[in-house]
Amino acid sequence: MTNWITRFAELVAENRGYLTELDSAIGDADHGANMARGMAAVSAMLETHRPDSADELFKSVGRTLVSGVGGASGPLYGTFFLRVGAEAGPVEQLDTRLLAAALRAGVDGIIARGRAEIGDKTMLDAMAPALDAFDAAVGGGSSAAEAAVLARAAAELGRDATRELVARKGRASYLGERSVGHLDPGATSAALALRALAETLSGVTG
Amino acid sequence: MIGIVLVSHSPALAHAALDLAREMVPGDEPRVAIAAGTAAGGVGTDALAVAGAITELASADGVLVMMDLGSAVLSAEMALDFVEAAGVDVILSPAPFVEGLTAALVCAAGGASLAEANREARRALTAKELHLDSGPWHEPKKVMPPDIPPAGMSASPAEARFVLTNEQGLHARPAALLVAALSGLDADVRVRSATRGPVDGGSLIGLMSLGARSGEEMIVVADGPQSMEAIAAIRAIANRNYGD
Repeated sequence: MTNWITRFAELVAENRGYLTELDSAIGDADHGANMARGMAAVSAMLETHRPDSADELFKSVGRTLVSGVGGASGPLYGTFFLRVGAEAGPVEQLDTRLLAAALRAGVDGIIARGRAEIGDKTMLDAMAPALDAFDAAVGGGSSAAEAAVLARAAAELGRDATRELVARKGRASYLGERSVGHLDPGATSAALALRALAETLSGVTG
Repeated sequence: MIGIVLVSHSPALAHAALDLAREMVPGDEPRVAIAAGTAAGGVGTDALAVAGAITELASADGVLVMMDLGSAVLSAEMALDFVEAAGVDVILSPAPFVEGLTAALVCAAGGASLAEANREARRALTAKELHLDSGPWHEPKKVMPPDIPPAGMSASPAEARFVLTNEQGLHARPAALLVAALSGLDADVRVRSATRGPVDGGSLIGLMSLGARSGEEMIVVADGPQSMEAIAAIRAIANRNYGD
């Protein structure tokens, strides 16, 4: 699970400029910088603090993001990871079912915190389909790795679908119709999180 | 006395808003804690810092939380999960940041409860709304250069507003200056304050009866062939600090 977080941090750093570019079109141009700063703080924290259990890991990640990100993504990703940790509990490894439950708890946390709905053009538009795909795969007997790969694909489709949506939450909502034609930055970083999970669990990058 | 937490993306904004609000509080001030900017010192908000600020004021008779915009609200909501003090009453106020803080600080200093202070903070925009809604501001208003009357015609009635920047407001001497300046002009000038008038601008007693004090506004409406000159004459006096 630590590898998931480190891979997410790498992908955020690599895509920092792209995330900022998306956020310049329909936001205040800081999503890339905010996420990169937050995930850099997470990486630095993980170097000095080796958590023993899943709940310790995700709680530390969540708290670091809350303090380090600055914008709305701080509370939103912070809540996600805190809830994942709370659901996972003091275990060293997560089996497939527990991982599914933990991720679901994380997404429920995002919904409770941000009060967005599907279609508002937010990170939820990538996260929700990803979780549905994950749950469906696990229910059908897939391994965690297989489910994660399917979830990543669903997240990327969800992200792509945000292009034609009108933003109804966050700074982009001030733009109204002018937000159409641009991908949502939050959905884009969320898709990176699912990509990191898929790559880490399957051992295949790209 | 209740305590107040300020949550802002910008430490400078939070401190400046507090300084402004403090001007209205003559005596004992409520305790205020600020959670502004990120841990790294940049623009943004930090839910853990907000939790710390609320915890710091936990011994007060309740904590009212004022937020600027956007993620300040998310951070404040999230902070409630992290407050390390049992049983502290908190209200996250939807009031506007500057006006609401001023109202809340004044109420809190007067011993208001958490709910009362929040109610007043929420209504804080009303003064501005009432003032401006009663004026001509539903549509753009063309602003004329004040000292140049349009050639060949008088733009009347002409309206202008002047803030009484001098210490004693519209007392005898400035009133006398206005009367003298207007006396030779072919204009009918009416003057009012926010609360009184209108009175005849050519009447010394009328002007003084407005009781307009320093910082208040005079609203002048001038009609007639020399209405623009009348406005210009009043402006000249205003620019000399009303002769004080």
